[in-house]
Amino acid sequence: MLDIRDLTKQFGKGDSAVTALHQVSLSIAEGEFFTLLGPSGCGKTTLLRLIAGFEPPSGGALVLDGKDIALMPPNQRPVNTVFQSYALFPHMTVAQNVGFALEAQGRPKAEVARVVEKMLALVQMTHLRDRKSAALSGGQQQRVALARALAPQPRILLLDEPLSALDMKLRKEMQVELKRLQQETGLTFIFVTHDQEEALTMSDRIAVMNGGRLQQIASPRELYDLPENRFVASFIGESNFLMAQKLAGMIEIEGSKTALPSGFAAAYDGPVIVMIRPEHVVLGQGPSDAIRLTAQVERLVYFGTDTHIHMRLRDGTPLVARVQNALRGGAIAKVGDSVPVAFPQDALRLLPDTEA
Amino acid sequence: MAERAFNIRRLPGVATLAIGCFVILYIPMVILVGNSFNAGKVIGHWEGVSLHWYVAALHNEAFLAAAQTSLLLATLAALIATITATMAALATTRAADFRGQGAIHLIVNQPLMVPEIVLAIALLIILAQVKQATGYTGLGYLIAAHTTFCIPFAYMPIRARLEGMDLSLETAAADLYASRFYTFRRVTLPLLAPGILAGFMLAFVVSLDDVVMSDFLKSPGQETLPTYLMGELRRNLTSEIYAISSLLLLISVLIVAGSWAATRKKA
Repeated sequence: MLDIRDLTKQFGKGDSAVTALHQVSLSIAEGEFFTLLGPSGCGKTTLLRLIAGFEPPSGGALVLDGKDIALMPPNQRPVNTVFQSYALFPHMTVAQNVGFALEAQGRPKAEVARVVEKMLALVQMTHLRDRKSAALSGGQQQRVALARALAPQPRILLLDEPLSALDMKLRKEMQVELKRLQQETGLTFIFVTHDQEEALTMSDRIAVMNGGRLQQIASPRELYDLPENRFVASFIGESNFLMAQKLAGMIEIEGSKTALPSGFAAAYDGPVIVMIRPEHVVLGQGPSDAIRLTAQVERLVYFGTDTHIHMRLRDGTPLVARVQNALRGGAIAKVGDSVPVAFPQDALRLLPDTEA
Repeated sequence: MAERAFNIRRLPGVATLAIGCFVILYIPMVILVGNSFNAGKVIGHWEGVSLHWYVAALHNEAFLAAAQTSLLLATLAALIATITATMAALATTRAADFRGQGAIHLIVNQPLMVPEIVLAIALLIILAQVKQATGYTGLGYLIAAHTTFCIPFAYMPIRARLEGMDLSLETAAADLYASRFYTFRRVTLPLLAPGILAGFMLAFVVSLDDVVMSDFLKSPGQETLPTYLMGELRRNLTSEIYAISSLLLLISVLIVAGSWAATRKKA
């Protein structure tokens, strides 16, 4: 439905120019909950603003339903935004805010009133319809902002970190609420966030961005299980990075070898980076195809459901294992212990050795 | 919580100093207003409370004519100045950066910095020629002159209000299918209204009490309230002047209070 082709954005001119987006290309399907994820300054908000039309791109195309809308002004695009600050009109009531777009389009009064009622019901704000928007709580403003953006029935709803101003409990509630709304309306959502957990729990697909470049586009599960590079692996979840040698279809870490995991036939032999998630590190012998090493326990951090064991390998590489806490039984290990650790072969991921 | 801000009331002598300042500032006005209620004819000689001089003033044709001129002049000058100042403020805060934006800011505020008498003399020389050439001797010259020095007073609160406004509101309106004009009418203007009102009232008061410009540029027979009062002071000093001054003060106070209330609410 939306095809983004080689979209580029530069701010400033000449020597002081800053490139916020480097030839980003991606396609978003109808009805998808698509998330742009990355640290601040990665270009995700710039991309959103280009889609909304608040900034013109420096190059590339934005094709919506077969039509290039890259240079179309924002008030002509069938795309609406939920702003991070909500940007509700403070001098208008809740109902007037929700009806704004339809009135601006010159729709008949009866239709405006009907849609406003429907939208207020959808976000459960009917009882506050005549309240001034400035007199609402954060969560309520959030709902009004959503209803206002949904009222004109856009082809795509853009959400710019809409939950970042809410407290933890409200944020969780709104996550569920947003997902419900998206499924009920069947609308395409493009969601911007820097919160990986938010992205993993809500999205159909996630585009991870860094430094104005796309790093990987995948489903949450794929992104976590098969990160394509070190940035994605460290940004999504926690990871251990280990220096390894690749030789003749085998990988070797500190003298212990195992067969190369399938799908990782790198072209050359030599040093590689191997990634393993803390929950996949086994304390003990592990399966027969595991890489087996010895590590020294430095610190134990108790998290309720599990314990993080911070260790060091013999060469000084830090290693974290995450072990679920049993109902009974004592400590898993003690600080200062030398313990056997195992990396099952199918939990190892080879990453291209770029970006240290 | 961090330590509370420095509490000025704890300083020794602050209350005395403050009261002293208020007395010095307001005693003359209190005396003026008090004298306006004096029943006697001779200034400084108290003969009891009376509204006599107010009644006399309201029957004074010359005063009423001057008051009418002043109110008309202040209304028109403030109106034109406010419209111009609103446009200038929008151009300096909302338009994409353009060359000379800073210069515009400076030019708009220039009447605040140029001595009024210099501007008045300059205008006198030019307008005398214009009057002779066109034969027109109406209120237009005063309206134009008052408008120039009213603009910066109208400009300041309007610009302050625009700068304080959340830009994302206008972006949101554009996102919600509003044209630029619709956005201005439904979002920018309603939010700007208190600033515009404050600007108008400030400009109105400034025009209402101007002496220098009016005295230099008025055509024969024209009087504004301040120039009329000046003339009266030279001729006959009766308590009627106190009554008229008190009325002028009342109008100014009402307008300044109104402007303060307008900017304070939902600021």
